Amino acid sequence: MKNNLVAAYLLMVGLPVFGLLGILEAGRGIPAPLSITGDWTFKLDPATQCGNGGARQPALNISQSGTEALISLNDGNGHATTLEGTVNGNLLTAKSPVAGISAVIAGKPGARTLEGTIQFDGCAPAAFRAVRQAPKKGGE
Amino acid sequence: MLNLFQLVLQIAVVLVAARIVGFLFQKIKQPQVMGEMVAGILLGPSLLGWLAPGVSAALFPPASLSYLNALSQVGLVVFMFVVGLALNPSELHGYGHAAVLTSHVSIAAPFCLGSLTALYLYPRLSDDSVTFTHFALFMGAAMSITAFPVLARILSERGLVRSRMGTLAIACAAVDDVTGWCILAYIVVLVRVTHAARPAWITIAGSLVYVLLMLFVVRRILPAFERAFRKRERLTDNLLAVIVVLVLVSALATEWLGIHLLFGAFLMGAIMPKAPEFTRYLLHKFESVTVVLLLPLFFAYTGLRTRIGVGGGRGIWLYSALVIVVAVAGKLGGSMFAARLAGMPWREAGALGVLMNTRGLMELVILNIGLDIGVISPAMFSIMVLMALVTTFMTTPLLEWVYPTRLFRAPVDEIHRNVA
Repeated sequence: MKNNLVAAYLLMVGLPVFGLLGILEAGRGIPAPLSITGDWTFKLDPATQCGNGGARQPALNISQSGTEALISLNDGNGHATTLEGTVNGNLLTAKSPVAGISAVIAGKPGARTLEGTIQFDGCAPAAFRAVRQAPKKGGE
Repeated sequence: MLNLFQLVLQIAVVLVAARIVGFLFQKIKQPQVMGEMVAGILLGPSLLGWLAPGVSAALFPPASLSYLNALSQVGLVVFMFVVGLALNPSELHGYGHAAVLTSHVSIAAPFCLGSLTALYLYPRLSDDSVTFTHFALFMGAAMSITAFPVLARILSERGLVRSRMGTLAIACAAVDDVTGWCILAYIVVLVRVTHAARPAWITIAGSLVYVLLMLFVVRRILPAFERAFRKRERLTDNLLAVIVVLVLVSALATEWLGIHLLFGAFLMGAIMPKAPEFTRYLLHKFESVTVVLLLPLFFAYTGLRTRIGVGGGRGIWLYSALVIVVAVAGKLGGSMFAARLAGMPWREAGALGVLMNTRGLMELVILNIGLDIGVISPAMFSIMVLMALVTTFMTTPLLEWVYPTRLFRAPVDEIHRNVA
């Protein structure tokens, strides 16, 4: 009985532990979507003329789960909208009924930037550059 | 700025919802805590925010949640002290090879399967700010946890505490609890050290010194509280305040070291003297406010962070189903087969597996830590919360089916009634 228990222990505990080591090794090479979670400082092209004439300096917050992103955009005039976006390689595209974003993600996770265009409803596309602020979470 | 009216209103709404849903869940023979967990989810974006976004936004505006969070964290600190207090090291040994095999398998099997699932989920629900190793280890730890307090309550309510299966379940859950928290502490250190400004050696050496201090210095002082209790059959308010301060200092020490507040509170509870009357007295003192007032706030805060079925793309329900199946297979299946191999009859081994599969609020605690340190994404958090709810909900009916009360009723253990 004791020998059976030892064998069972090796099989049911030892094997998963070795399996875990193999899994961790196998997972090292798996690529993950580029991280864009967090608050961003957002600079619109000063030449942008729309609505109240360029006064808009939107604030940007992104919540990301894998390739899916929820982008909260405050247009600087008290109007907020949430865009649903997708990260595909280094490209971010997002849209809501009143705005759309298309941007390139660049830089390392600790110093990430977004560069592209944003289009508010009824306005022409405007160039923007956003820099991610230091993340609050400990995972980064 | 603190809006006191709003905060008090939030607390009142949360408490009313927790009591009503908890009552309804008791009617369907579920533990009260299960209903309270569900009440938290119902108040969040998964139901209230979806059905009545205006009401939700007015009642729980994002800017106000930090106060609710602060209160719920204080509640968790006290709760983790209570969990540690209820943990009796004498339950960890004395059950022979069966307990050793079953408890170790009930950790190793779900841990391995959880990490294996991470191979599939990492590229879909994580991002490059988290390494695969951190993600996989966290998934493993989250899959292998057992809710010791909920398990103890279910056993107590069914009069199974003193049965062979009951005692083995408690021993295994206690081992799982201690091991799970140690593994989680390691993962939190690993994640925080990678990104912290403080050198890793301070966290590692500091943690070692802290644990040694707690085990060999503080633990020797604590029996003074028990002696004071024996003299008067109660503790003075001043002594109770000293215990609270010790819990807070221990929590602060682990937070400063870069582990987490909750580990310090848990360890302080775990090293308190374990005389039954003393433990019962402290549990009575600390439990009421924590369980009735502060824990529902934690459930509500968790619910407000949970968006079931949202994020993660079209595959979200597939990922949820996968996680639930893997969690049940690893925990229930692993524990059941290990107990059977150790000589338990199939019925008892099955019941043990069902009990070990209860994740309850301990899972929610771990998931909140994972989301806070950024090792899991919001969608992964919601999936895991759903898994915690499903595995906890299924415990009572499944146990009744596998191990009917009418066949195995035994005396109810008063201590565990109080513990839960």
